[in-house]
Amino acid sequence: MIKLSQERTKELLAIHGWSGILLGLLLYAVICTGTIAVFSTEIGNWSNPLDEPATDSLPANITPLVHELGADVDPAHRETFFLYTSGGGRLMLQFEGHLESEDEDGHPGAEEHYGVLYEIDPNTLTVLNRTEGPEALLDAARRTTDALADFFVDLHVRLHIPNPWGLFVTGVLGLIMMVAAMTGFVVHRHLIRELFTIRRNKEALLRSRDAHVIAGTWTLPFAFVLAFTGSFFSFATSLGLPAMAMVVFGGDQERAIAEVFGEPPATDDTPAQVADFDAVIADAQARTGARPNFVAGRFYGRADSQLVVFTPAVEGSLTGRSPVYSGVTGEFLYDKPILVGQQPSAGNTVAALMGPLHFGNFSGVISKAVWFALGFAGAYVALTGMLLWTNRRAEQRAWQRMSRLVHWVGYGLPLAMALTPYGTFAGRWFGWAIEAAQWTAFGLAALAALAIAMVARSVAQVRAILVATTGFTLLGVPLTRLLAGGPGWVEAWSGGLTTVVAGDIVIIAGGIICLGLWRYGAGTSAVETGRASAAAREATA
Amino acid sequence: MTTTTVDTSTAPGKPRLRAWMRGVLAGPLAFIASWILMAGAALYLPKGAAGIDNMVFPVVLFPLIWALLFLYSLLDRRLLRAYGVVMLLLAVHGGLIARHLAGAGA
Repeated sequence: MIKLSQERTKELLAIHGWSGILLGLLLYAVICTGTIAVFSTEIGNWSNPLDEPATDSLPANITPLVHELGADVDPAHRETFFLYTSGGGRLMLQFEGHLESEDEDGHPGAEEHYGVLYEIDPNTLTVLNRTEGPEALLDAARRTTDALADFFVDLHVRLHIPNPWGLFVTGVLGLIMMVAAMTGFVVHRHLIRELFTIRRNKEALLRSRDAHVIAGTWTLPFAFVLAFTGSFFSFATSLGLPAMAMVVFGGDQERAIAEVFGEPPATDDTPAQVADFDAVIADAQARTGARPNFVAGRFYGRADSQLVVFTPAVEGSLTGRSPVYSGVTGEFLYDKPILVGQQPSAGNTVAALMGPLHFGNFSGVISKAVWFALGFAGAYVALTGMLLWTNRRAEQRAWQRMSRLVHWVGYGLPLAMALTPYGTFAGRWFGWAIEAAQWTAFGLAALAALAIAMVARSVAQVRAILVATTGFTLLGVPLTRLLAGGPGWVEAWSGGLTTVVAGDIVIIAGGIICLGLWRYGAGTSAVETGRASAAAREATA
Repeated sequence: MTTTTVDTSTAPGKPRLRAWMRGVLAGPLAFIASWILMAGAALYLPKGAAGIDNMVFPVVLFPLIWALLFLYSLLDRRLLRAYGVVMLLLAVHGGLIARHLAGAGA
């Protein structure tokens, strides 16, 4: 038991509540989308599968194809190149360089990234799509392949606000979540007892308060870890690294990059042969014990070309590895720490731990499922916390409006997320720009939810309508996928596309649960009724 | 303690002013202080075997530094002392950075 004076407890409770209520709606959106984004790879495989299943590791026998495609790219656009997998297990091969633009008078203008992106079927090693153009066009093509997963990930990472501002916003939200977790930990005076206490025979508000405390207490360590690592990811690149480059290296970015990522080899633009990628990947697999999933290279077809091969963590290791090879001969050069520095260090290990701790991808689907469940509990805690806060003040008109706002976001966001795949599949079927189609579906759902929140008789009705609509919307998602040309269950199962079948089942189960909540009511519903005011006095007394 | 009671009961404008001052301290000032502390700490923390620990640890710990400064700013009953602590951290690390940059530029 943590001993605090009554006054100090009140102060901490005020910080806990106000930190949540001020930015809680955005925080709730970040948690909800983050919970879904845990399964971003599976969402990509479910929403845009190939005819046959493919793994997220690099396939074999790719050297002839890579050599052929690389030779087809202008050497000026081969400064960097990447091999990686995307939605459905598609193999992506990307070349990038710089394009010097000219102004009207023929003078050299600003440089922009320009390149070529190949989308390849890893089973047949045939090119499915080729995109050439500036960086924005390549980005759009890349996002089309994994459109649905990217939509949720972007919403989670930066709320679709342009960088670096989006990262600042989500970083601050992570800080707020940390404060809420820390103050929540301190104000829970009876931590162990509150893990198991729910007063079933008491007023609805007290029951809901107990449910909020139980879910919050069980997930406290997880909430802290997620908020901490999330803030790190938001601020590390937008605030931390620029500050380090400025302070430690006096603004010399080249020196900063050399210190952190290693000195680049001496420049030698003599044309040279290209390494055997299959041999390099096989050697990296033999050295690390894991099949590589990413290759980053520079100066394709030049004497100074190098390849960095990334492999995932093997059992017993906290992080993956990234051996470096000559891009000409394929000779192994040295073993580089996966993130920063030129040799193993405590700093690299700590930085590399942030990813697995935030994404929950350290033990396959099992750890992802645990992270999903804990994220779901976090969303529940955020929503019920805001509902409790607003309902304790339900006698004041301003807080009644706030309560409607909380209901709009709390129940409207899941509806908007459930409708987003309709945009994905409609876009793919009709040939529309998929990102725009997804935004249209998401936006229409959000607007419809807002209208319902404004005109409904009570907040209980808002909740009922939105939960029911979300249930029906989820039930229709597999059918829409099928109508848009996706494989049926028999075809998917016999073809080994188990993710497609599993994804449909999970979505249908989600729809049934929503309809059950709507039909029979549960959890927070009673909080929102007029009975809350009377109970609120007891709860706060 | 007595002074605080007299302040808040006799001057209705002061509690609001104090609340704003505390909000400014816990919000923007604590954030800026954490940022400067993060950048300045890279100048005195050990570099480690790979020469990067002094840069990585402050960046990793930045969220925790901010959360602690935020909570401290809100919970220290003596607002002036809270301002003093935050400004001291800001000044020390800002001074370290300025000295380093001036030395590098010289």
